[in-house]
Amino acid sequence: MNHDDVSRLLGAYLDGELDLTTCMDLEEHLAGCESCRQKMEADQELVAVIQSETPRFEASPFLKTRIRAALRPEKSQPLPFWRRAWLSSGVAFAALLILAAYFYRAPGIPALVQEAVADHVRSLQVSHLMDVASTDQHTVKPWFAGKLDYSPQVVDLAPAGYPLIGGRLDVLDSRNVAALIYQRRKHYINLFIWPSNGPSLPGKLYVRNGYHALGWTRSGMNYMAVSELGEQEFADFVKMIQDKTVETRPGE
Amino acid sequence: MIEQHHDGRGDPSPPEFEQVFLPHLDAAYNLARWLLRNDQDAEDAVQEAYLRAYKAFSRFRGGDGKAWLITILRNVCFTMIKKLRSHETPEPFDEEIHQAAGQSDLREVFRQKANAETLQSAIEKLPDEFREIIVLHDLEGLAYKQIAVAIGIPIGTVMSRLARARGRLRAEIVASNVKQSSP
Repeated sequence: MNHDDVSRLLGAYLDGELDLTTCMDLEEHLAGCESCRQKMEADQELVAVIQSETPRFEASPFLKTRIRAALRPEKSQPLPFWRRAWLSSGVAFAALLILAAYFYRAPGIPALVQEAVADHVRSLQVSHLMDVASTDQHTVKPWFAGKLDYSPQVVDLAPAGYPLIGGRLDVLDSRNVAALIYQRRKHYINLFIWPSNGPSLPGKLYVRNGYHALGWTRSGMNYMAVSELGEQEFADFVKMIQDKTVETRPGE
Repeated sequence: MIEQHHDGRGDPSPPEFEQVFLPHLDAAYNLARWLLRNDQDAEDAVQEAYLRAYKAFSRFRGGDGKAWLITILRNVCFTMIKKLRSHETPEPFDEEIHQAAGQSDLREVFRQKANAETLQSAIEKLPDEFREIIVLHDLEGLAYKQIAVAIGIPIGTVMSRLARARGRLRAEIVASNVKQSSP
């Protein structure tokens, strides 16, 4: 065995990955070669430092919960993970109760709202939040061209703390619709946009299974926002979208 | 009716899957975190990998679950890296400094500089494939054979890639803050 062989095999030798014969050949060379022995010691030192000093990142317990939730279809899953996280916090739970009591006075929830909430939940659960991931409205908007027979207006709310993170094609109201995804801290908001063919959506806030949903119609387009965000932040988001879509001319 | 869009086609039970794969969660997360460099991306990648593994679970024939999961995970990670860093240009690498770094007179320099902090920044500077193999072997303790299966390369390549990765890591450590220490 020569110097080159040794230097090639040294790492495997230190890792205990060499077969016995090669191992013995190598040790024989080391015994008679000072420079290779020095090299081995330096490598040994390096490997020891790497193995002892490198920080190892650990998964948060939250991630395990998130994965376990994602593996279970909706039916067998009593509550999505974020709501379980909510419920563990007493204050949030109380807030939820108050909200629920307030909004459950509303008689029945329109099928469209239920469908939009189901779309939102599914987008989070099957890890199919986005088809196009981008924080740039000028990337997201063209992405829909050719996939839809209309062009949704894409507004940016990043300065207000609701960055756009991407877009997706979804199905709502028996047709393909654009879904824009906005983020607020660790929460997501789906904003569905599609042309209106019937009466205007009433602009009324619904709460279903802890999700907020609100639909409205403006300039011939239907908008439906859905999120697990708290009521105030959700209302802020809707207001900003409405303001922005008024400012600009619709449907070019 | 839309409810049937996902799942529901003779999928394995989650507990059975979890028993095999959840014990590897920390290893998976550690690799993803080192490759992607932030918590959020790493968590997303790991979740995506578990979902893919779950969908493909019927094709898993026993054997090394860890290597199997890592194969899926690294695909997810490298796809994300391509998207996230398409605009980045890799840092230039000074071969001369780096070749000299193994020499014995530099061992003292190495000793002085080798601590958790320089090590972390040195590993972050490594090319993705070097960082990956260091994490899999030196942090997660996978054997060469497991790494060969996970990455899909011959064992000989595992050996040489790991050796090059360590050599470059040593060089990065020796070269760290080189401006302050040189006259």
